[in-house]
Amino acid sequence: MNDASIEVSGLRKRFGPTQALDGMTFSVAAGTVTGFVGPNGAGKSTTIRVLLGLDYQDEGHALVCGQRYAALKYPLRRVGALVEAAALQPSRTGRNHLLWLARSQRLPTDRVKEVIDLVGLDSAARRRAGGYSLGMRQRLGIAAAMLGDPEVLILDEPFNGMDPEGIIWIRGFLRSLAARGRAVLVSSHLMGELQGIADQVVVVGRGRVLADATVDELVARAGSDRVLLRSPTPSEAAAVLQRAGARATVTDRGTVIVGGITAQRVVEVLSPAGVAFSEVTAQRASLEDVYLQLTGGATQYRAGTQVQP
Amino acid sequence: MSTQTGPPRPHTVLRDELRPAWSAAVRAEWTKLRTLPSTTWLLAGTVAVTVGTTAIIAAATHTSTGPDAARQDPTKLALTGIDLGQAIIAVLAVLTVCEEYGAGMIRITLTAMPRRTVVLAAKAVNLTGLTLIAGLVAVAGCLMTGRLMLPGAGLGTADGYPLVSLAHTATLRAAAGSVLYLILIALLVLGIATAIRDTAVSVGVVLALLYLPPLLAQAVSDPLRRHLEQIAPMTAGLAVQVTTSSPAQVIAPWAGLGILAMWAAGSLTTAGVLLRIRDA
Repeated sequence: MNDASIEVSGLRKRFGPTQALDGMTFSVAAGTVTGFVGPNGAGKSTTIRVLLGLDYQDEGHALVCGQRYAALKYPLRRVGALVEAAALQPSRTGRNHLLWLARSQRLPTDRVKEVIDLVGLDSAARRRAGGYSLGMRQRLGIAAAMLGDPEVLILDEPFNGMDPEGIIWIRGFLRSLAARGRAVLVSSHLMGELQGIADQVVVVGRGRVLADATVDELVARAGSDRVLLRSPTPSEAAAVLQRAGARATVTDRGTVIVGGITAQRVVEVLSPAGVAFSEVTAQRASLEDVYLQLTGGATQYRAGTQVQP
Repeated sequence: MSTQTGPPRPHTVLRDELRPAWSAAVRAEWTKLRTLPSTTWLLAGTVAVTVGTTAIIAAATHTSTGPDAARQDPTKLALTGIDLGQAIIAVLAVLTVCEEYGAGMIRITLTAMPRRTVVLAAKAVNLTGLTLIAGLVAVAGCLMTGRLMLPGAGLGTADGYPLVSLAHTATLRAAAGSVLYLILIALLVLGIATAIRDTAVSVGVVLALLYLPPLLAQAVSDPLRRHLEQIAPMTAGLAVQVTTSSPAQVIAPWAGLGILAMWAAGSLTTAGVLLRIRDA
């Protein structure tokens, strides 16, 4: 084995007719934050569940700290995990949730208070978890992941339901963990949440890795010929541009990302075609654009107006 | 970030590596159970329903004292409450697992304790302890109620019946057996619930398994009726309460409880295997 903190190799798993994992392979090194991104249904959560020994793979292997997760005696002392933050029994208090977890790892009761303070949940810790907002559940889940002060952290969608202040907090928190030598794997279906904190990004779609690179490499790979277009009829604009040989993708926000031609050429194509537009901007590619480009063909559930790049 | 202690001290790590994982699992599962308000209520409910049922039955019993009256079994009558009280224990056993599946928390449990059979065993240990306590209180309450109320129902010493007393070997066996019966029912149900995972379905299956065979037995004739009562968990298990010889008795007391123990063992084994091989 090499000394990667997380090593996933050739994972395959089928749920009935769906190939959930199709040769998933990547690794995470100590001292780094690795973003794990892809559209819903790409296999992120399944990979994490296999890593944690919750689901069984059909083929391949998944190791943490060089071992199978299930072989760890007090696993939360080595690996902290946030899975399904909403999954709490509603009548138990947040503090008592952490308490039983601490007991399961033979960790002292003092540690519960420490992680409650760490995530800023002290005012709510003695209330029933059923009344928590999703953001508070995420904080409780991160407190649980930090209980054993683990060397590896695996966080599935920690930004979900977080308020802006919480998102800023998590971003800073993850960076500080990596700075102290921890390996952090953080999944998200939104690339933007990872920009600025991830050292490495693993982009997945349809159960396999589409790209595994540093943020800079990814952005460079996308080139810098992005053109951002705003139009009242984005799908029509995209269709016209595609007929002219350009790549065009309609984003969720109704803008069109155009590739392969210059901003000048976009205007020349659209004007004679009678397509109205309010903005045409040449821009350097962002991580989000690269993501859309990579996952465009791998999205399982796409909006009807989206156009294949 | 704010407070951050280092990892556990090396000597603590070494000490904990030498201790078995199961005792930590038992403590964790105990902490879970005691921090759910429903646990206390269900245990109190078990005692209340068991003793209350016995009191109602005793109040409603009027035995004719004529020479041809059928001989009654005062001890078994006093322990009738178990028939109903077991349903509350069954609900507690179902909730121990199915609530975790319902909330999705089972994934957190199995992430903290990846040895799945250890988790099931830890749940079984705690359930056994709690049922033992509730069972002892409920059975004591039933015997007390029987001793106080049955003489008024035509089952007193004046009618030729002894007072319900643990000094009688058969009554002591019936009492201890009833507590064991409740524990075995809890374990049987724990296994079924682990296999089924859903609260409503589990409760339905368990109630059907317990209460349907005695009803069906009334509808069929011997020898089918006899065999049904010999193998069904409730009718076989409750044979341990019988203290007078009766032609209606289809299986010896401890043999009947043994049948129930086999049900519980089979159920827990199946649950352990399913828990291990299925995705969480």
